[in-house]
Amino acid sequence: MTRATALGVAVLDDIAIERARTGDLGALERVYRAYEGLVYSLARRICRTEEDAEDVLQETFLEVCRSIRGFRGAGPGSLTAWVKRIAASKALMRIRRQKYRDADELPEDGAFAAQRTTDVGLQLDLEAALSRLSETSRSVVWLHDVEGYTHEDIAEMMGKTVSFSKSQLARAHTRLRGWLGGE
Amino acid sequence: MRQHCTMNELLALREGEGTAWAREHLDGCSFCRRELELLHGRAAALRALPAIRPPRDRWSVVREQAVREQRGTRLRRAAWGALALAASVTLIVGVRALGPGGATGADGVQVATTPELSDLMARSRNLEAALQNYGTDGRVLSARTAGIIADLETGIAAVDAGINDARTRGTQNDLVDLWRSRVDLMDALVNAHVTRAAYVGF
Repeated sequence: MTRATALGVAVLDDIAIERARTGDLGALERVYRAYEGLVYSLARRICRTEEDAEDVLQETFLEVCRSIRGFRGAGPGSLTAWVKRIAASKALMRIRRQKYRDADELPEDGAFAAQRTTDVGLQLDLEAALSRLSETSRSVVWLHDVEGYTHEDIAEMMGKTVSFSKSQLARAHTRLRGWLGGE
Repeated sequence: MRQHCTMNELLALREGEGTAWAREHLDGCSFCRRELELLHGRAAALRALPAIRPPRDRWSVVREQAVREQRGTRLRRAAWGALALAASVTLIVGVRALGPGGATGADGVQVATTPELSDLMARSRNLEAALQNYGTDGRVLSARTAGIIADLETGIAAVDAGINDARTRGTQNDLVDLWRSRVDLMDALVNAHVTRAAYVGF
C-alpha cells in the first residue's frame, strides 16, 4: 500500500489515506512513518535546536491526527502539501513564541556589493552558514527557496507582510553570499 | 549613481521580475550576471541539502495523546447522545402518563418480549457491577471527565424515574425502551470510568 519515491519518502495510497481519515491508528502510524523525515527536516532547518524540532514533529502529527478527518485533498501529493503546511506553521509558531533575539540583523536592502566586502574571510559551508542566520531569515529562505512557498504564503503563515518576507529573503541571501563567498 | 544591483533586485530578476533599470543593467554587467548565477546556485544547493532523520521515534507519544483525545471525543459524543435519548424517553413517558393512558398496554400488541426485557435488565446489572470494580469514589478526575460523568448520571436518574413510572402503569413497551436507554447510558458511564482509570494509572 506504500511505495518509496526517489527522495525516500514513502507515498501512501488513497486507501491508506481514507483509513487514516477514520482515525485508524495503524493508518495514522503509516502517515507518520511516511512523513516524519520530511517534517523533521523542515523543522530542523527552521528551529534553533534539535529539541525544538522534535517538539514540532510531535505537535505536527498530533495536529494531523486531530484534523485528518477534515482533510479534503485527493491523492498523496495534496497530503504531502497539507502535512508540510502544518509543519511549517508549527515551526513558525514555535520560533514566534520563543522570540529569540536576532543576532544578525542587517540594514534593510543594503547594497549587496558593499556588504560583500565586510564578510570576506568568512567562508563557511552551506549548512553552517544556514544555521548562523536568524530564525526568521532562515525560515523565509528555507520556505521560499526550498519548500517553494510564495511570499504571500509565507507572509500569511508568519502573520507579516509580503514586503517583510521579501526583505528577509534578501537579508538571508546577502548574509549567505558574504559567508559563502564565490562558492 | 548606483553601480550594481541590490540583493532585492537580484531576487526580483530571479523571479522573472525586476525593474527596467535592473534588467538593462544585467545585460551589460558581468558582475551582476555572476551574482545572479550564484543566487541560483545557492538555492539549488539549499534544495540539495540532505534530509535529516529525527533522532528519536516520537510516534508512541503522538499515539498515546491521539488515543486519549479520541476517547475524550467519543465520550463527549456518547454523553450528549445519551442525554438526548434520556430526555426524549422521559418526554414520551411523561406525555403518555398525562394522556388517556393504557393505549399501548390495552391494544394487546406485544412489541417487546419478556426475554428482551430480562436481557436488558441483566446487562444493566452487569454494567453496575463493572462500575463497582472501578471504585468510583475519591479518585482524581479532570474537569471535563467529571462533567461527562455528571451528565451521564443525570441521564440515568431521569431514565430510572421513567422506569418507576412505567412499572406503575404496567406499560411493557415503555419499559423496554427505558431499560435500553439505561443500558446505553450505563455503558457510556463505565467507559468514562475506564478511560479515567487508564489516565491515572489504576
